[in-house]
Amino acid sequence: MKWLLFSLSLLLTTSALAQADRYVFDTDEQAVRFEELTKELRCPKCQNQNIADSDAIVAKDLRERVVELVKEGNTKDEVIDYMIDRYGYFVHYDPPVTPATLVLWVLPVLIVIVGFGFIVIRQRKASVKQTWSNQDEVLLNKLIEQNKRQEQS
Amino acid sequence: MNRKLLAIAPLLAFAFICIFLYQGLFANPREIQTGRIGHEMPAFTLPDLMQDNKQWTNEALKGEVYLLNVWGTWCPTCLAELGYLTKLREQGVKIIGLYYVQGYDADFDGPFDMQALRTEVQDMLERAGNPYQFNILDLHRTLSLDLGVSGAPETFLIDKNGTILLHHTGDINPRVWRSKFAPMMQELK
Repeated sequence: MKWLLFSLSLLLTTSALAQADRYVFDTDEQAVRFEELTKELRCPKCQNQNIADSDAIVAKDLRERVVELVKEGNTKDEVIDYMIDRYGYFVHYDPPVTPATLVLWVLPVLIVIVGFGFIVIRQRKASVKQTWSNQDEVLLNKLIEQNKRQEQS
Repeated sequence: MNRKLLAIAPLLAFAFICIFLYQGLFANPREIQTGRIGHEMPAFTLPDLMQDNKQWTNEALKGEVYLLNVWGTWCPTCLAELGYLTKLREQGVKIIGLYYVQGYDADFDGPFDMQALRTEVQDMLERAGNPYQFNILDLHRTLSLDLGVSGAPETFLIDKNGTILLHHTGDINPRVWRSKFAPMMQELK
């Protein structure tokens, strides 16, 4: 069991560092920043891959540019803005909140609120107390009596 | 009243989803908004593809409306559009080529051979038509990256002041020209 865990953890570490290993960074912090960025930036050619994953030539170019920018000491946001300036919001997997994308954030919340509202209203309707007067009691007894007589005859 | 509304709610939801998905049928996922429209051409200094010692800069290109066509001999769609682009040149459209260097296999291609590339380009342009006033060589695809190019062919429309007005991904054919480029060209005249 120990061995299994150990070998599994080996697998994990190698895959995580594989990207950064190809490029040499001055600090570990830069390597980590590069790792994060290549996972968040989207390849403009192979649209469902990030630039860490994609083998397209444009992804390779973007990776190399990210290395340069990170080495120059740019922060993560600065690198992302640099790419958005060139490739548009498309290039980042985390789209900004704009009037066009607002629906992505609002709709799920709206659905939850409407759903709960619906449940609450139903619950309230179901638990409304029923009115029962003496008159009803008399009527009920009368009906029971009638029913009994019919059964006997 | 409320009940009726509730009864048709699923139908409404269904209709809404239908309209949404129907639109998707005609959407082009390659058509992505790039960041450069409305901005000036990024600054660059790059060599001419065919002549030694000739350099092009963004300043040198200002003064005329032109198309910047990103292409390469490795790209079949680029070959396909050469004929139509040549026709456009004959109609007086100024087209400048931005040569996007890419081996047939990016990882296993040999060292860059300028002479071989020139011969290949010349052969292709003689066969398929030459729409270009001249070609700029983007060996390391730096200008392409600054322009937000993701591959070839892509075409930019640039006005007299060097402002990028259009960025089209994919080939230029009569339909694309009529719907996308011609109206803007008309406005610029």
